[in-house]
Amino acid sequence: MSKPKDNLKSNGAVISAKTGTKESIINFLKKAMDKGVFDAVLVPMRVPAGDSFVYVLIKDKSLLKDVFPLPPVMSVQGAKAVSSVTRLGKGNMKIAAVMRPCETRATVELTKLGQTDLENITLISMDCPGVLPISDFLDDPNKGMKLFDDAAKKWDDKLMRPVCQICDKSSMVAGDIHIGTLGAKKDTFFIISNSQKGNDVLEKLAITLKENIDGWRAKVKNISEEKQKKRKKAHKDLKSEIGGLDNLLDTFSQCINCHNCMKVCPICYCRLCYFDSDKVKHPSEDYLQRAESKGSIRFLPDTLLFQTGRMMHMSYSCVSCGACEDACPVSIPVAQIFSMIADETQGLFDYVSGRDVEEPLPLIAYKEEELHEMEDAND
Amino acid sequence: MSKDEEFMPKILAFLCNWCSYAGADLAGTSRLKYPPSILPIRVMCSSRVDPLFIIKAYLGGADGVLVAGCHPGDCHYEKGNYYTRRRFVMLKEVVKGLGLEPERIRLSWISASEGNKYVEVTTEFTEKIKKLGKNSAKNKIFL
Ligand code: SF4
Ligand code: SF4
Ligand code: FES
Repeated sequence: MSKPKDNLKSNGAVISAKTGTKESIINFLKKAMDKGVFDAVLVPMRVPAGDSFVYVLIKDKSLLKDVFPLPPVMSVQGAKAVSSVTRLGKGNMKIAAVMRPCETRATVELTKLGQTDLENITLISMDCPGVLPISDFLDDPNKGMKLFDDAAKKWDDKLMRPVCQICDKSSMVAGDIHIGTLGAKKDTFFIISNSQKGNDVLEKLAITLKENIDGWRAKVKNISEEKQKKRKKAHKDLKSEIGGLDNLLDTFSQCINCHNCMKVCPICYCRLCYFDSDKVKHPSEDYLQRAESKGSIRFLPDTLLFQTGRMMHMSYSCVSCGACEDACPVSIPVAQIFSMIADETQGLFDYVSGRDVEEPLPLIAYKEEELHEMEDAND
Repeated sequence: MSKDEEFMPKILAFLCNWCSYAGADLAGTSRLKYPPSILPIRVMCSSRVDPLFIIKAYLGGADGVLVAGCHPGDCHYEKGNYYTRRRFVMLKEVVKGLGLEPERIRLSWISASEGNKYVEVTTEFTEKIKKLGKNSAKNKIFL
């Protein structure tokens, strides 16, 4: 976020976690609330029924003991929570928002889109082992808890969502403070600051950033390189599977037009999506005309237009968080498709969604001298 | 001539009011000959063209879509066409990424005095689309 950008290159703190990482993170948050560094904490908590997790904004610090900084499923994309809290202004409370890297990245994107006010928010992310598909978790939540715990300990992603299995940014630091568990010695974790705000918070907590974090960095590099390879291959395979008009139609033909994928997407913030608006409601002559020229027309129509339109409107900000795929009732691999397209559209502008709040969104920036190969191209 | 060669594509052309539409107009008033494949739509600026319009036309069966605006630096709204260019390259990438046909989409700069360029661009594009043949989206019922 805002300066100093170079902090990541320097050191971090090593925190002892004898009682377990989760407990230590909770202690950290509690201490910060005790000292008045934060007035509230926005963090996931398990619902009483035990089968889901939601974000809660905690004012009463005695409730912190029940939070789940790294829940096994992503029922709510954290960026949506931050945006709900701050969309209408920053308020007068200092809030720590604890989430996964793809959630902090989406928060950064939403900030560029004017949908959050981060002045009083400290974004805290942590190394993410992935999340389970919501539907798998719901089959047996208690088993799911255990499977996730085991998988997270071993950093084994095979039960995680497909889009998590190919996530090469699972330790990307986009917020103010990052908790690094990779490469840490037994019973410890790293605390890393990524902004002046992060530095200030840690200073108030008497956490000094003096220790070497090369161990974390090396491990992260290793994992993300490995995942990058997997990602490229998965996208290539996906493309041959869904590419071309006929395959695309097959892929999306089960779509029930619920628009869940758009509703849960953190980036799709529009109050009224074009595809839910009157703009897509046409007079019957229009449909008759289309039916006449083709012989017949599907209802509801324009499924593929919705998907491609959404890609065009938001793929440059897509963080591959997988929320859309979790939400799709007919198991269309929406997030895998969007992550494939997102890598391509972002690559055009050397843009990485959520990397830096100062980096302008690619479609509201331009250079006078660029992309000339597009002009009058007749290839 | 065989039947196939007689295929006359339908090409939707989004022309900006201040340059390209005037360029097309000049071609007309100068009695230059250009292909009957073009269906012009006047927009105030090339940047008014949401990529969605283009994909909608393509999925709706248009054989080609042309977007034309003022040359860079000459946009009536100063920088509209710089944004157009970025959106356009993104659109093409999405279309390419999905294995659709980016060749059916074209961006050109045509000024108000370039009646002849309007003719060149539309002729060249029409020829290319003729080679590509009909847009198969035209017959897809389940689209
Ligand atoms: S969530 Fe699935 S079924 Fe619903 S609109 Fe999106 S792709 Fe279609
Ligand atoms: S399109 Fe899907 S994967 Fe991308 S940001 Fe939205 S919900 Fe996440
Ligand atoms: S007015 Fe012609 S491109 Fe903007």
